[in-house]
Amino acid sequence: MNGLLIAPVLLPLLLGILSLLLWHHVRAQRVIAVAGTGLLTLLSLRLLIGIYRHGIQVVHLGNWEAPFGISLAADLLGAIMVVLASITGFAIALYSVGANERQRECFGYYPLVHILIMGVNGAFLTGDIFNLYVWFEVMLMSSFVLLALGGEKPQIEGGVKYMALNFFSSVIFLTAVGLLYGVMGTLNLADLAVKVRGTESTGMLVVIGCLFLASFGIKAAIFPLFFWLPASYHTPPPAVSGLFAGLLTKVGVYAMIRLFTLIFTPDLVHLHGLILGLAALTMVTGVLGAAAQFEFRRILSFHIVSQIGYMILGLGLFTPLALAGSIFYLMHHIIVKTNLFLIAGIVHYRFGTGELKSLGGLYKTAPWLSLLFLIPALSLAGIPPLSGFFAKLLLVMAAVDIHAWGMIATALGVSLLTLYSMTKIWNEAFWKDAPTPPPPARTDQSTILMMIPVILLATITVVIGFGAGPVFRLALAAANQLMNPSDYIHAVLGVSP
Amino acid sequence: MIGILTLLLVGGFLTPLFYRRWGDRTASRLALLPALSFLLLVGMGGSMSGQGGIHLISLTWIPELNFTLSFALDGLSLLFALLITGIGAFVVWYSGAYFDGDPTGCRFVMVLMLFMASMLGVVFADHVIVLFIFWELTSFTSFLLIGHNHREEAARKAALQALLVTGAGGLFLLAGLLILARAGGSYELSSLITNTSLPAHPLFNEAIALILVGAFTKSAQVPFHFWLPNAMQAPSPASAYLHSSTMVKAGVYLLARLHPLGVESWLWSDVVAPIGALTLFTGAVMAYGQVYLKRLLAYTTVSALGGMTMLIGFGSPAAAKAAVVFLLAHALYKASLFLVAGIIDHETGEKHIDRLGGLRTLMPWTALGAGLAAVSMMGLPPTLGFLGKELLYAADRGLVYLSISVLAGMFFVYVAYRTGVRPFVGLHRVTQKPGHEAPPAMWAGPMTLGGLSILLAVFASVTGKWIVAPAAQAVLGEPTAIKLVLWHGWNRELMLSLLTLGLGVAAILLVRPVSRLFSPVSRAAVIGPDAWYRAGLKGIQQGSVGLTRILQSGYLRAYIDSIVLFILLTAGWHFLGKVPFPGFAELHAVDINDLILVSLLFVAIAGALLSRSRMAAIASLGVIGYGIALIFVLYGAPDLAMTQMVIETLTVILLVLAFYHLPKFALRSSRPARIRDFALATAVALFTGAMTYAASFGEIAPPISWFYSENSWLNAYGKNVVNVILVDFRAMDTLGEITVLTVAALGAMALLKLRIGGQKGGGS
Amino acid sequence: MELLMAIVVGLLYGGGLFLMQRRNLVKFIIGLAMLSHGANLLIFTAGGLTRGAPPLIGEGETLPPALHADPLPQALILTAIVISFAVLAFALVLFLRAYQTTGTDDLDDLRSTDT
Repeated sequence: MNGLLIAPVLLPLLLGILSLLLWHHVRAQRVIAVAGTGLLTLLSLRLLIGIYRHGIQVVHLGNWEAPFGISLAADLLGAIMVVLASITGFAIALYSVGANERQRECFGYYPLVHILIMGVNGAFLTGDIFNLYVWFEVMLMSSFVLLALGGEKPQIEGGVKYMALNFFSSVIFLTAVGLLYGVMGTLNLADLAVKVRGTESTGMLVVIGCLFLASFGIKAAIFPLFFWLPASYHTPPPAVSGLFAGLLTKVGVYAMIRLFTLIFTPDLVHLHGLILGLAALTMVTGVLGAAAQFEFRRILSFHIVSQIGYMILGLGLFTPLALAGSIFYLMHHIIVKTNLFLIAGIVHYRFGTGELKSLGGLYKTAPWLSLLFLIPALSLAGIPPLSGFFAKLLLVMAAVDIHAWGMIATALGVSLLTLYSMTKIWNEAFWKDAPTPPPPARTDQSTILMMIPVILLATITVVIGFGAGPVFRLALAAANQLMNPSDYIHAVLGVSP
Repeated sequence: MIGILTLLLVGGFLTPLFYRRWGDRTASRLALLPALSFLLLVGMGGSMSGQGGIHLISLTWIPELNFTLSFALDGLSLLFALLITGIGAFVVWYSGAYFDGDPTGCRFVMVLMLFMASMLGVVFADHVIVLFIFWELTSFTSFLLIGHNHREEAARKAALQALLVTGAGGLFLLAGLLILARAGGSYELSSLITNTSLPAHPLFNEAIALILVGAFTKSAQVPFHFWLPNAMQAPSPASAYLHSSTMVKAGVYLLARLHPLGVESWLWSDVVAPIGALTLFTGAVMAYGQVYLKRLLAYTTVSALGGMTMLIGFGSPAAAKAAVVFLLAHALYKASLFLVAGIIDHETGEKHIDRLGGLRTLMPWTALGAGLAAVSMMGLPPTLGFLGKELLYAADRGLVYLSISVLAGMFFVYVAYRTGVRPFVGLHRVTQKPGHEAPPAMWAGPMTLGGLSILLAVFASVTGKWIVAPAAQAVLGEPTAIKLVLWHGWNRELMLSLLTLGLGVAAILLVRPVSRLFSPVSRAAVIGPDAWYRAGLKGIQQGSVGLTRILQSGYLRAYIDSIVLFILLTAGWHFLGKVPFPGFAELHAVDINDLILVSLLFVAIAGALLSRSRMAAIASLGVIGYGIALIFVLYGAPDLAMTQMVIETLTVILLVLAFYHLPKFALRSSRPARIRDFALATAVALFTGAMTYAASFGEIAPPISWFYSENSWLNAYGKNVVNVILVDFRAMDTLGEITVLTVAALGAMALLKLRIGGQKGGGS
Repeated sequence: MELLMAIVVGLLYGGGLFLMQRRNLVKFIIGLAMLSHGANLLIFTAGGLTRGAPPLIGEGETLPPALHADPLPQALILTAIVISFAVLAFALVLFLRAYQTTGTDDLDDLRSTDT
């Protein structure tokens, strides 16, 4: 079990190093990427199953007991996120091989992808707040490079904003960690949870909570902190935006959920009302931003923002059902959003543009792609019985339970606007006749290989929808762990709080 | 039930495979699936009447949420299911001929089959979530069918409109159902409608109101009616099936289903009935003056749906009975007339009524089918239409409702004449295509359904016993004695019927005066809900562009402002309110070294801020770095000082190297901007300074670092505690740190060397 | 001394922010660097200041001197310094490339990917 827990961090590192060593052998790097991420997916699935059966798993690195050393602790949420990250990584690896961006592949593309996944997984598994910062930096550094890799003008322009604002977020994170250590004298999350529960003077903790909220809020792209995302996500190659769209913001959401269920709980700091308000504003501004766009990936980018609102909505409502809804949403969203970006990429590769104005007739020329687009698009809009429907349903049900009428109205209204956006893409790019002259179809490249991950992810979407029962059970179990942090604390510290 | 659903779903999904094998003959074979389902349902209906009239199935689904896949079959759902499968069989058969030689036929039939399954799901579902899932699926399949001719913009727009209107209604419905389920403690419709304590729940009326919005959008009630006429962009079989006889009746179905519960709410009599009457009136008036066959029919569909809604709103047994008969009659004659309209369009290429005439000699069978349906729609005896109208008048609730009903009846006569009679009589007119009789696959539907309109009326007592009574009882939620009789004698209803007929004939003869009489209503419709919809869509579009232009302005500093303000308003606000100021008691004394150092830092910071030259700014930054290193030395952190020195030197060198390639400073920002930024920066300075100060004294728990000091040598064998922490206690951090460094180096290298689309071209 | 340090931290944050609000790429970088300095010093100060005695274990001793500086913040800062240096160096290269590809060092001109 220990090995399994460390594997999601160490395996990508090994894959990264191996790929670096094979710098000039792109072919070998491709094989390593696909096989390695495939293996990672299997291992993380085993980890998840193990945790589902036997409870929270903890490894104290270097055998230094908590809270003094760094502990990796995987509860269900962490393990679920690792599985999702691995699946995304696998899909991206396949897609990258198909996309055949030779120049980028020669300049460390695969090592960067591996390191990014390492950072993401590290963030999901670590039980230490400063270590979380370090993993954030690993992830961000690789994402900076991946975003700018290739040096095309839009990439660089988007990269400047992405980098500047995320660096700013890191400084806020570091500030919060410094202050937190200053007052609490410890860095281990479980230890923090224990010590925080014993204190009366919560004033400084609220302030620190706000700082974490701001820092993670930037990374998760919530209102009014999301501006870096729509500025940059549409600029890199499709595989990279797919990877980012699926994973990066969700690390922010994860961190928020972790800290605001374990340490900054509602009885201690009253920030969950604020989170609810932010969730609503994020949903609305994101979806309206998407309504204003007419480019495939720009529309999708704004929808990421909007969807993040739903995920933190569950955190703000703070009931087991609501958190289960958030976790369900995370599972659904990572798969669906990655897929939509990959599909947008295929369209881009084939027609050289993502502008809806210059696209058209895809229904005729690419019928299978149309079908594959419909699955994640309708899921995103919450059409039953696809995954997104259940994700939204759970959140709305949780809101009904506590009579949060405004939230219900917002969540449902935004889902209608999401449907509008997805139909807009469908009508313009797929149903409409191709404009004259039609966009020059690029025939120099086959997109067949790139369809494999798209089919894979679409299948998962359908499976989550039709298997909503077991998936929900998993999400609910994860949510219950979060609502009762004593299990987590006990697993890490070996004592009950 | 589940077997039938699965059969149709699988049939739908496999349609492309069948098409690959059988080509255009597929549809006529696929039609056997709904036909078979119809027969099975008839069998189930026959056996059901013996066992209390309800048949329940429940499968586990998500027990934690009390979600079960539960289905129920009673008189009401059976009636709908028979209509869905019966008409469905004809429509699928018809579609095969309609799309003969057209490759899109496969897609059409596939979606049609899937719709059929979804619609059956709606009427079978007992669990509200199951109901909602199928409900949404009917909306979505309807979207695909309306947009079938997707190369035409009008079709795309109409499809989007229908999807958005019914989709929005669906969301209201979902909210309403969830609230109702929560209030009633169950998700099962069968237990909700018998829950007698539910009407007393404080949220009961709210839940019902939300559900009503869902039902009204689906059944095209005013003011949501506008999507239905626009939906006529769909191919005729879809219009006949979805947009007249089945899907649009889902809203009516829902109202009927919730009837026992709904009548307890004031909304039922005060909202449902008036809205229904208004729709009955509006649809009928708007139909007058339409010149295209399908639009004309669509408006009377709106009107008829209003009639059914009104009857359900009345809430009386007589009204329930009338609603059921009216529904059955309408489904039969309207599907026929739409199918006929499709035949005419298909065979002659004409949609405009005034360009049609004398078709009876060319297409006698179609003419016969159309005539039968028209007679029923006019309400002549002995037809279901006649029965329905008699019952409608009998269920009377005052003069206003009655006169609206009579008025609508008048227009029905007119429309029936215009669509079912007019194209076939009189002089033959030359049409775009020469026109000839359609294949039997196409006229069989209108013929049979039209014939049934009469047959079911002639054998009224049988119809009453086997179809109407069970359905009406299900609507009312209690056993009621219901008999259906064709002839009531010379009573008031018959007089009203005759009056209606007379008015209808007048409307046919005196088109001009009548249309002038009602023209204000039609004109008012121009500024009606359709326009609101368009304005709303445009408003959202423009509003979102405006909003996004403000938020996503592209100015990095605006984004930073937003973040900083967020922090100041949340963290800063709480800091002011909740953190006590620690005072100055425990301060470390300041000695002269500190003072010199801090002064140096002040000067350096000022230099970095104010300097107009790049080199001076870099030098100031260097001084800041070295100054901080000296602080580290003074306060027991020699390792830190060393690292800081090295890193600072490297940073300065890098900066100098880089700036060599960059232009000189230019003063760009305006004075007000600088003042504003300065104010914000001051606030941040005060906030962070105060926070730092408060934190350095605000210790809540003692630090854990005693452990490192104690174990550094004894267990980790290192003398420098900081180093031991880095390489042993917290080695994972260091691993991450090295990774970041490596990636940065790799990235910098790649960024400098790889330029895709740039001047130098790619790498190795 | 804590008070003076807090003032320095505040000035570094405020000053860094002010520079980041400029339209100039170079000033932006300097601002980022100041902000990182501020964060490091904040950790150092918030963790508690101890004059003199570094957390070193002398020859023949098994424990550091009784009153020594807290080693943990120092370790954190060390990590943070290196990380922010890496990020800063990369940012520098990125900004250099931005200037080369767009021909401007005015951040207000880098807006084409937003709207």
